[in-house]
Amino acid sequence: MERRSFGKAILAASLLATTTLTATATVAQDYVIGFSQVTTAEPWRVQFNKDLRAEAELHDNVELLIADANDRTDKQVADMENFIRQEVDAILISPKESAGLTGIVEQATDAGIPVFVLDRNVDTDKFVQWIGGDNSLIGVAAGEYALELLGGAGKAQGNIVEIFGGLGVQATFERSDPFHAAFEGEEGVTFLLDRQSGDWKQDQAYDIMSTALRNYEDIDMVYGHNDPMAYGAYLAAKDAGRADDIIFLGVDGLPGEGVTWVSNGELAATFLYPTPGAEGLRQALKHLAGEEVPAKIVMGTEAITPENADEILVRNGLK
Amino acid sequence: MNKMSITNASETENMKSSSLAGVLLKVLARTKLYWGLIVLLAFGAMTSPMTSKGNNIFLSIGNLTDVLRQVSVTGIVAVGMTMVIFIAGIDLSVGSLMALGTVICAMLLTQSGWTAASTFAIPATGVVIAFCAFSLIFFILKHKGKGSQEYAPSQATKITSIGIAAAIGALVMIWLAGQMAPKFGVLAVLIAVPCVGAIMGAMNGAIIVYGRLQPFIVTLAMMVGALGLARVVAGQDTAVHPVYTGSNATESFEVLRTLLWGFLPVPGVIFLGVLLFFFMLTRLTTFGSYLLAIGGNEEAARLAGIDVGRIKIATYSIAGALATLAGVLYVAQFRQGKPDAGIGLELDAIAAVVIGGTSLMGGRGAILGTLVGVLIFGFLSNVLQLNNIDSNTQLILKGIIIVAAVLLQEGRIDGTFAWFKHKLSKQ
Repeated sequence: MERRSFGKAILAASLLATTTLTATATVAQDYVIGFSQVTTAEPWRVQFNKDLRAEAELHDNVELLIADANDRTDKQVADMENFIRQEVDAILISPKESAGLTGIVEQATDAGIPVFVLDRNVDTDKFVQWIGGDNSLIGVAAGEYALELLGGAGKAQGNIVEIFGGLGVQATFERSDPFHAAFEGEEGVTFLLDRQSGDWKQDQAYDIMSTALRNYEDIDMVYGHNDPMAYGAYLAAKDAGRADDIIFLGVDGLPGEGVTWVSNGELAATFLYPTPGAEGLRQALKHLAGEEVPAKIVMGTEAITPENADEILVRNGLK
Repeated sequence: MNKMSITNASETENMKSSSLAGVLLKVLARTKLYWGLIVLLAFGAMTSPMTSKGNNIFLSIGNLTDVLRQVSVTGIVAVGMTMVIFIAGIDLSVGSLMALGTVICAMLLTQSGWTAASTFAIPATGVVIAFCAFSLIFFILKHKGKGSQEYAPSQATKITSIGIAAAIGALVMIWLAGQMAPKFGVLAVLIAVPCVGAIMGAMNGAIIVYGRLQPFIVTLAMMVGALGLARVVAGQDTAVHPVYTGSNATESFEVLRTLLWGFLPVPGVIFLGVLLFFFMLTRLTTFGSYLLAIGGNEEAARLAGIDVGRIKIATYSIAGALATLAGVLYVAQFRQGKPDAGIGLELDAIAAVVIGGTSLMGGRGAILGTLVGVLIFGFLSNVLQLNNIDSNTQLILKGIIIVAAVLLQEGRIDGTFAWFKHKLSKQ
C-alpha cells in the first residue's frame, strides 16, 4: 500500500511539473500546435517531422507538440484526445487510416480546434484542410520518364522489372497503374514480373531482384515503388555484376536516400513524394491569423535526376 | 532422442506382416524429414524456366547458392530457436534482437568514437568474454580434477581464475575501444555484436529461471523492449543507418558478402558452420542431452542433478547471441541497419523449427531438421518467384505448404499406410 501511494506521489509530482512547464510555455508562446504523427519508424516520416520542426523553428510564436502513435490507431486516437484536453490552438494529424480516425477528427473540430489532415485522408469534411502528395502524379511522371529512357513513344524497347510496394495499399496501385498506362501499345516493352511485392523494404527487393536476375537474362529497367526497393534491386544487380546494364528508377526522393543514390549514379532518377510537414504548419498559421485557406492542397512531384540531385543535397546540408 | 523410437514399435509389427513393404515403410518413416524437401526440389526442377542455352535455372549453382544466402539470417536465428524449443521454451525476442544487432553493427561500422552503440557494445562484450573465459578455466580445472562432480576448487584458485578472466575481458574491451577510431572492423563487429545478444538472451533466461515466469511472456516483453531499445540506440531521428563499405564503413566488411571460390556466399557458409557446430554440440556433448532431458521432463532432470537453471540461461543466451550474429549478416547483405528489420522473423524461425520436426512441447527434435525446415521455406519462395507467382498468392501457398509439411512431419505415414492396407484387404 505504502509503495503504491509513493508511486502515486511521484506520478502526481511529475504531472504537476509537466503541467506547470507547459503552462509557462503557453504563456510565453502565442500558439500551441499539436501534431499527431502515425509513426516515425520510416525514413519518409522522419523527414516529415524534420520538415515540420524546421518550419516551426522559423516562427517564434509557435510551440510544436509532436505525438508518435507507433503505427497504431488506438494510440493515435489517445494522442488526439490528449491534444483536445490540452486545448491546443490547432491540430495537425497524419492519420494511420481513415476508418479509425474519422471520429476523433470530428470530435476535435466539434471541440472548436481547427484540424489539418496531412498525407492520408479521413472520411469526413469536418476539418479545415487536407494537404498531401498525389501518388498518381508520380506514376504518370515516372511513366513518362521511363518511356523516354527506353526509346520514346512508339519505339520504346526493353524489359521492365517492377517491384511493388504493399499490395494492400492504395499508394502502390497509384504509383503502378499510370506507369503501366504510359507503356500502353508499346510492343517492344515487356513487364517481366507479376505483382511481386517487396513490402517497401530494401532487403525484400534485393531477394526478388536476385531471383529475377537468374530468371531473365535481359533486364533493362527496374521501377521500384520507393527508393529503398530500387536501391535494393540495384545492390542485387551490382552483386551479380549486371548493374551497369540496367536503369533503376525509384520514388520518394528523400535527401538521405534516393537523392544521394541518384547523385552517386546508382539510381537513374527518383520522383519526389513531398512531405506536407512544412506546408501544413504554414497553412495552419495562416488560418489562425484569420486568412482563408483552401480545403485541399495537392502537392506536385518533381523528377530528381543527376542534373538536380547535387543541388538538392547541398540545400539539405548533405554535400 | 527423436520420435523415430516411438514409431518403431508399429513399424516392427509391419515388418513381421510383410517384409518388403515393411522395409520400405521403415525407410520412408526414417527419412520422412527429407521427403518434403525432395518433393519440393523435384517440383522446382520440373517447373523451372530455362535459360536461352537450355539450362535449368532452378538447378543452376547460382540459384541454389542464392537460396542458401537468402535463408542464412532466418537459418541462424532458427538454430538458436531450436535449442530453446528443445527445453520446451520459446523465444519471441529473436526478431527484435536481430534488428538491434543490425543497428549496433551498422553504427559501429559507420560512426567512430563513443556512440550509443559502442557505449553499449563494448562493456557487454567485456562482460561476456570474461564470463566465457571464467567458465572455460573452471571447466578445465574440473576436468583436471578427474571430472569428479564434487570437485571444489580452493578459494585461491577461484580468485585467480576470476582475476584471469577479468583481465581477458578487460583486454578485449581495450582492443575494442581501440577499434572505435576510426571505425570498427569486420572482426570486431563479429565479436562485439553477438555478445550484446548474449547479454540480452541471458537476461531472458535469468528472468525466466529466477522469476519463475513463462518464457512466452518474458520473451514477449523482451521483444517489445528490444525494439524500443533498438530505436533509441539508432537515434530518435534515424529510421535507417545505411552502410556503404569503402565510403562510410571499412572495406574489410565486404568479406561478409563475398562469394568463396566464386560461388559460395559467405553468409550461407557461416549459417552452415553455425548449424554444424550446434548439431555437434547437441549430439555429442552432455549439454545436448541435458537440453532434451529438461524439455522432456524438467522435474526429472532436476532430480537427476542437472543444473536446470544454468542450462536454461545458457540456452537463451545462445539464442540471443545467434540472433544478433544474424543481424551482422543482415547488414552485410542489405547494407543497412534498422530497428524494424526483424519484425516477424521470430515466427519464420519457429515455423522452420516445427517443420523440421522439433516438438513445440520440447524434449525431442533435431538441429538437422531445422536445416530442412529453413530450406523448405527458402526453396518454396524461390520456386514461386521463378514461376512468377504474385506475392499474395505466394502467401496463400506458403500457408498451405507449412501445414502440409507439418502434417508430413508429425504425420502418420505408417497410419495412412495401415488405413490403405485395411481398405485393400476389405475388397
